[in-house]
Amino acid sequence: MSHPKEHSGNNPLQQWSPLFSLVVPGLGQILQGQRSRGLGLLATVLALGGLILWQGVPLLFVPLAAVWLWGVWDAARALRNRPSGTVAPFLLAAFIAYALGVRATEMDFRRLLTGWPAIRPIVRALVRPELLEYPKESHIGYLPFQVPCIDPLPPPQGRASEQPRLSTDVPCAALGETITLDGEGFLPGLDVEIWWQNPIGDYQRVLKDGVPLVVPADSEGRFRVTIQVPPTSVPLDRRPGPGETQTHRIEARQYRPYGSLQPTETLRLVLQKIGETIALAFIATVLATVFALPVSFLAARNLMGGHPVGLAVYYGVRTILNIVRSIETLMWAIIFAVWVGLGPFDGTLALLLHSIAALGKLYSEAIEGIDPGPIEAVRATGANWAQTVVYAVIPQFMPSFLAFTLYRWDINLRMSTVIGLVSNAGLGFLIIQWIRLSRYNSMATAIIAIVLVVALLDYASAALRERIIAGTAGGPKRGALRRYGVPAVAVALFLALFAWSWRVAEIDLPALVEGAPAGLRITRAFLFPDLLTRPTEEVRIAAPLVVPCGAAPEPGASAPAEGPRVALSLSCGAPGDPLVITGEGLPPNADVSVRWRLPDGGFLRVKENCCRTDGAGNLRLETRVHPLMEVKEGAVGEVEISWKRVVGGYRPSEALIITVNLSLVTLLMALMATTLGSVFAIPLSFLGASNVMGRGPVGRAVYFTARTVFNLWRSVEPMILAVICASWVGLGPFAGVLALALNNIPNLAKLFSEAIEEIDPGPVEAVTATGANPLQVLVYAVLPQLVPRFLAYILYQWDINIRMSTVIGFVGGGGIGQQFRVWVGLDQYAAAGTATWAIVAMVWGMDYVSAKARERLI
Amino acid sequence: MLEVRNLTKIFPNGTVALRDVSFTVAEGEFLAVIGLSGSGKSTLLRCINRLIEPTSGQVIWNGIDITAASPRELRRIRRQIGMIFQQFNLVRRSSVLTNVLSGRLGYANPWMSLFHYFPPEDHQRALTALERVGIADKVHSRADQLSGGQQQRVGIARALMQEPKLILADEPVASLDPVLAHSILQYLEQLNREEGITVICSLHFLDLVHRYATRVIGLKDGRLVFEGHPKELTRERFKEVYGEEAEMVTVGGISL
Repeated sequence: MSHPKEHSGNNPLQQWSPLFSLVVPGLGQILQGQRSRGLGLLATVLALGGLILWQGVPLLFVPLAAVWLWGVWDAARALRNRPSGTVAPFLLAAFIAYALGVRATEMDFRRLLTGWPAIRPIVRALVRPELLEYPKESHIGYLPFQVPCIDPLPPPQGRASEQPRLSTDVPCAALGETITLDGEGFLPGLDVEIWWQNPIGDYQRVLKDGVPLVVPADSEGRFRVTIQVPPTSVPLDRRPGPGETQTHRIEARQYRPYGSLQPTETLRLVLQKIGETIALAFIATVLATVFALPVSFLAARNLMGGHPVGLAVYYGVRTILNIVRSIETLMWAIIFAVWVGLGPFDGTLALLLHSIAALGKLYSEAIEGIDPGPIEAVRATGANWAQTVVYAVIPQFMPSFLAFTLYRWDINLRMSTVIGLVSNAGLGFLIIQWIRLSRYNSMATAIIAIVLVVALLDYASAALRERIIAGTAGGPKRGALRRYGVPAVAVALFLALFAWSWRVAEIDLPALVEGAPAGLRITRAFLFPDLLTRPTEEVRIAAPLVVPCGAAPEPGASAPAEGPRVALSLSCGAPGDPLVITGEGLPPNADVSVRWRLPDGGFLRVKENCCRTDGAGNLRLETRVHPLMEVKEGAVGEVEISWKRVVGGYRPSEALIITVNLSLVTLLMALMATTLGSVFAIPLSFLGASNVMGRGPVGRAVYFTARTVFNLWRSVEPMILAVICASWVGLGPFAGVLALALNNIPNLAKLFSEAIEEIDPGPVEAVTATGANPLQVLVYAVLPQLVPRFLAYILYQWDINIRMSTVIGFVGGGGIGQQFRVWVGLDQYAAAGTATWAIVAMVWGMDYVSAKARERLI
Repeated sequence: MLEVRNLTKIFPNGTVALRDVSFTVAEGEFLAVIGLSGSGKSTLLRCINRLIEPTSGQVIWNGIDITAASPRELRRIRRQIGMIFQQFNLVRRSSVLTNVLSGRLGYANPWMSLFHYFPPEDHQRALTALERVGIADKVHSRADQLSGGQQQRVGIARALMQEPKLILADEPVASLDPVLAHSILQYLEQLNREEGITVICSLHFLDLVHRYATRVIGLKDGRLVFEGHPKELTRERFKEVYGEEAEMVTVGGISL
């Protein structure tokens, strides 16, 4: 809180400052020299007012007015040199923001309950992954069945099985009707699954009361069950016409395990995809390192700063890197999918591009941090350029280079586990595929695999990082084997891994060239986003034409003397007669459409790929009278010229309006998620703080459990949580908020725990010694230490959430991402470009705001 | 006035910090506590206001058994005992004013104080206290913007807010340079002489003990090994307290 530097009643402007604050919020404070307080107040009132108008909740103007009036009161108090606390207006503003946030992100906590049945099988599956199984022999009976019944019933297509055998009480039924199914010759005592195959060939389980139907065969291998013909088994557009029927197939399947346990097909697929995931991350990181190094030289100020051209390159490269970086990897995957098609290559390109931008920036900062002293010293010994680089530059650059590369490899591995959610690569693809097929146990296996891979990798790279920091000093290298053998094996391993990754990632350079037209198209659209339009209206002028002559009275010439006119060489004629259509006073050099307006009300183009007016606004078109122009029931046809005329000025395009709207929703999603995450993380964080939990056995146990849970939970990517949340509470921003919040809880809890562990016990002791009660100790000694650090962590999480909330919509989490994916899917690249630029602006803006806020906190 | 009887403190990890320590302090005394690091000085001071719970023994102050006080009574007692710390123990991110006002928490309305409300007379008292220690101009600074000496003065002002009858000072000058050390101890001496506040102060430097204390007790391995007038604390007795290997060293005019 700042205070008026000097109290002076002399300045008449200051005397009236409360009044100024009444007119413009914050103006009085600015006049009294409290610039940041005044500007903050003004920005708050303007931003919240705008949001209230946008959401259309006029009731919220009441608390906003209270904030405004607080500004007046504050200015009045400041006049008497009595600064007031900012808690009250802050709470009011927060109330408004959250009320709007709840509305805009469609938060409805009842959906957590109503949606529970939908994800109960998913949650249950998480503790029952499919790892090992007995191989099964199958025993299948099948029977053709016709839907619906017609008379006479043609013979069914396909035949029935002999052993085992199925029969029904009726040979045909309508969708949704109930039939009785008998089976014989099945394996005695073993469960039978009933499946339904529609005429297209799709299989589905027959359900009873919403659960898949299973019926046991009796001791003689028979069963009888009533089943419902699945009402939705045939899509609407594939249903038979009236008087037709289709042949379906009923299947009864028994599976009997035999032999010994083997990995499931799911496990084999998951293992294979883990390989693919690692390969993608590996090749993207290696290639990104190669590309980022030269880029980083161009983005290093100490290398480029000496010369105006160099400086221009520096700023240009920096800007491009920042733009590329603020577009999330998953978004790049969607963009590259247009270029090279879905698949591992698309995912690799997305990872690669984002990594180049991120590493380019990090490397360039490492280069900027190089101390010129040692370079000077080495040069002074008479070393040449190469020697200087080897002895003075590389040793300084190497530690950061390794650390940043390792850090990026961490991120890339995490990203490549989820890139399949939008592309067709890695573990994420399995998840999205299996959730659609309701194969929850398989999906759970993949999710658990992701968590394990990420957690293991986190552990491994933390260990590796420690070794890099500690430095592998290593004594004198003895023996040719250790000196040359170890590096040779390492290089060979690296090359083998690289070659394998190249193959697995399906690197397909020709595809880049083949897809270039699409790539160019999308690039151009992104460079020229859809921002403004001008509204148009259609202008039509017409001239009547009686066909044949005398079929109707010729209407008198009604063409206006001025303005656009259409004239015909004939006022009547027979079909096929030559006709010259001329237009005058039309807009010059404009596309116009010339059509027959038929007597029956229809339209026909006079000529394809026509017509454009000349520079004077004239048009001449030779044609023949169309036969359909014949007078019908007294109605006369006309020849019409029409064009679009711009009315009014530029206004925001529809894409821009939607983008702005959804950007606000996205911001509010991040806000709500950060808040929810913090609210739950704060109490949990005390469980993970060793100084709070104490040294007792129970305390230690709780502490270790909490920390382990935080770490495992943190490994579940928000995108995967979004997939689950979307089936829980339905597609939309609420699912995104929920997924982000669920991801934030362990993240923040871990950070908060660390902050709590670092509380200085001294002030706590001192305040206790004054005779303060425990609550007072909390308020005066503990909170002042915790709050700033908590806020800093929350801001950091908010930054991440902004980025994540732009892409969480790809898997049903709402916000701008969902719309972006729709637009790309509809080939509306210019609109997608608008969304992209909005995302870049949003990420930059929020980065700036939170950096400023963090500066003030520390 | 203050009577310490058979005070013993054994920490949960088995360390015996105080063994059967007994002594009395009369009203208005400036009692210095000397001893090696780890000899139990800090534990002794903290057992008096029960920041550390003694294992056995009693601390009786003006007829009240502090060791038997209920939490509520203990807070009433604590608010009359100011405490000053080696590391100052200010809330670094709070303002000087808030830090000083926090010395008034034992008197303030417990609910209003949670919203940082203090009556105007407390604000006046805080300004007076800061004027007294000579840093009234820093009232709105953040505590971590102050130098070490200034921070310790804030610590004293905080203790003054309690209108204490007793001040416990735990090595108040060990983190300060010699000149600052004297100025801080002079404040304590002034309070002791002019307002009759009893001071119990642990110190490391012999000449500071000679200069300021009216009586000295020495601790070694948790046992009381010396009690007497500062003049009785000769070099030989000093060695007894600090161990045979301790040599008198002189640093910047101050002898250890």
